[in-house]
Amino acid sequence: MLARLLILAALAPAALAAPVVEQDAIPGLPAVKVQDLHYGDVLFYFYQQDHFDALVRLAAYRDQGRLAEHARDADLLRGGLYLSLGQHREAREIFERLLSDAATPQDVRNQAWFWLGKVLYAAGLYEDSDHALRQAAGTLPEDMEAERHLLIAQGLLYRQRYEQAIAELSAWQGPRYWLAYGQFNLGVALVRAGETERGLALLDAVGQLETKYPELMALRDKANLAIGYAHLQGGEPAAARLALERVRLNGPLSSKALLGAGWADVAAQQYQAALVPFGELQGRNLLDAAVQESYLAVPYAYGQLGAMRQAVQYYEKAITAYDSERSRIGESIDAIRAGHLLDAAMMAGDDGREGWFAQLSTLPDSPESRYLYHLLAGNEFQEGLKNYRALDDMANNLATWQQSLGAFDDMVVTRQEAFEQKLPAADARLATVDVATINGRRDALQAEFEAAVATRDIFALATDTEHEQLRLLDEVDAELAKHAGDAGYDDAREKARLARGVLTWKLDAAWRVRSWQTSRALRELNATVYDARTRETASGTARMGAPERNAALGRRVDRMSPRVAELALRVERAKEAQGRRLADIAVRELEDQRKRLDEYAVQARYALATIYDRAADMPAKPPGAMP
Amino acid sequence: MKTAIIIFLAALAASMPALADEAAATAGPSDERSALDAEVQGLRREVVDLNRDLFMLEEDLLFPASTQVAVFVSMDVGTFFALDSVQLKVDDKEVSNYLYTDREQDALKRGGVQRLWLGNLKAGEHEVTAFFTGKGPHERDYKRGTTLKVEKGVGAKYVELKISDKVSQLQPEFVVRVWE
Repeated sequence: MLARLLILAALAPAALAAPVVEQDAIPGLPAVKVQDLHYGDVLFYFYQQDHFDALVRLAAYRDQGRLAEHARDADLLRGGLYLSLGQHREAREIFERLLSDAATPQDVRNQAWFWLGKVLYAAGLYEDSDHALRQAAGTLPEDMEAERHLLIAQGLLYRQRYEQAIAELSAWQGPRYWLAYGQFNLGVALVRAGETERGLALLDAVGQLETKYPELMALRDKANLAIGYAHLQGGEPAAARLALERVRLNGPLSSKALLGAGWADVAAQQYQAALVPFGELQGRNLLDAAVQESYLAVPYAYGQLGAMRQAVQYYEKAITAYDSERSRIGESIDAIRAGHLLDAAMMAGDDGREGWFAQLSTLPDSPESRYLYHLLAGNEFQEGLKNYRALDDMANNLATWQQSLGAFDDMVVTRQEAFEQKLPAADARLATVDVATINGRRDALQAEFEAAVATRDIFALATDTEHEQLRLLDEVDAELAKHAGDAGYDDAREKARLARGVLTWKLDAAWRVRSWQTSRALRELNATVYDARTRETASGTARMGAPERNAALGRRVDRMSPRVAELALRVERAKEAQGRRLADIAVRELEDQRKRLDEYAVQARYALATIYDRAADMPAKPPGAMP
Repeated sequence: MKTAIIIFLAALAASMPALADEAAATAGPSDERSALDAEVQGLRREVVDLNRDLFMLEEDLLFPASTQVAVFVSMDVGTFFALDSVQLKVDDKEVSNYLYTDREQDALKRGGVQRLWLGNLKAGEHEVTAFFTGKGPHERDYKRGTTLKVEKGVGAKYVELKISDKVSQLQPEFVVRVWE
């Protein structure tokens, strides 16, 4: 019975091995052909996993009406972004609204059902989640479809409906990446349903997976650890060792694997061999339960080898190590109570996305930071720290805006002053431009041209030189008229007639070209006058509206300032409360550890006393006879 | 051996609660935790809303629609082109010289569109010049440029610089599109 419980305990993480909803909330967002530049801008931040900025821009652009072509995509994305930030209520509202809208197309509905299923799953509402996820069946992208299957199966596992989970997963053939998770969970379901052999065979397949993905390597380690302990409890140490040796030595489960491997050797009575993994553990952090255990396991193995002197030495070493660790834990508890833990946690670099957890292991060995890595292995502390960091980010964000609002305020005032200073000069310049008169002259020219065209008045389009020539000809004709009937002027009369004829012929020949050029020039003039009128109107509107606009902006800035300040205060209070809660969790956890170390120290002392008692009961031997 | 196994079982059992807690924490969080979580969620919602309002206020204040011009960069190229930088000049004055991280390149390739520059220009004609540099297949360096005249009217003006594969030569080049 105990063995079975242990196997189940070892398998406990299995049900949570599959996709982490919070972090991978939107892996399968379908490819979108961007039709609004601003939607693309949102995606630019989203694809960089900067979910907060993506959400802010999405909300702003939506309110500015810049996402018209992507209204439904934007809703789906907004819901997904809220989900990724852990805002389940908002995410749920958005997906439910999409589903209640009869106009929502079927493919969007399918995705909304899927996301809603994820939200409900993350909230622990497995029955409702199951219902929503089953509604989503249809045309989901491959990754989403795979995740949907896994979430349904995991929900069944959580509700202990193992047979249904087995049925769900057995019939499923997903992409290779997701299939490994499915296989793992199916193995878990089978073990829990009592089909241990079948379950272990599936887990064994996962345990031998060749992969380059870190997540799958972690899954492989979990599978091997579970199989190893199961075989150990089943009295099969050789099989146990085989599985445990497959666990990565640099992975988070390596200490448990080493301990298991050592005990497998002990079970096979290979005490000398057992000293290797046990010895490896002794170089590791004593806060790890496996390492604590190894301090008792090493002298036990020496005892079994009959090396009582080494056994005594190692039991004494264990007692010293436990006592020293207890004292270090005490220092850390004091540092945590003094509020230094969170300073250390926040010092560990954080680019807001990934990698910061690993950096915790490289923090300096000080009382406040020594146990952070260990504490973070606990889900409650990890979630709490996530909240604390979120609140810290919010506080920084609001502090930045508080500074900006000060600058905005100055800007509004400066802009108003600059406007008032520039106004007289601008008015004077505007006064020199009489667009109305220009417009009137344009109208007169247009009318003149239209009249000339109507009557084909070729003289209307004559050049200045031609007008001068016509004027001269009129004067010549007038002079000649004074000598009417005088034959001596006949030759001159003929020349004047010929000259007028030539000029008229030239004007007539040029008519088509000139009328086209004039028409084009008038069109250009129309456009220029139109621009001038538009600018004059815009200038007038700007001139009239600028003070009003400035005042409106000033009011908006004024309204924002207290809103930011009030929110910053509430965020600061919540951050303090969260900090106190984290310190409580940390102290509680470390006190539990200290208690456990006490118990180990008692066991070591008891074992030591037993050895001494046995030695005392043995017949006296010369000094140095103890092996 | 028996003692050791008992110790081992005790230790193993003690090491497991963290895992069991994981499940328990997901299934039924404590009241205190729920209250704090709910408060954090509520605050985050308010901070998002506030940021939205401030984002819009900042834009209205600094880049009013009457003078606003935005230049966006997008990509429509094959997997083997890596964008290094984009330099942007407006009326012969450099307004942006942007170096891209791997993460940003990836975001562009997946369909993201970067708002490279947001600024103010008077009504009338302006010259926008852009150059991009990057690496293609076989580490081949690319530098391409484009110049366009933009007529700024009364409303906001958006210019999209799309780095696209030239179909005939399979080389990246700029395709410019002006949005109103």
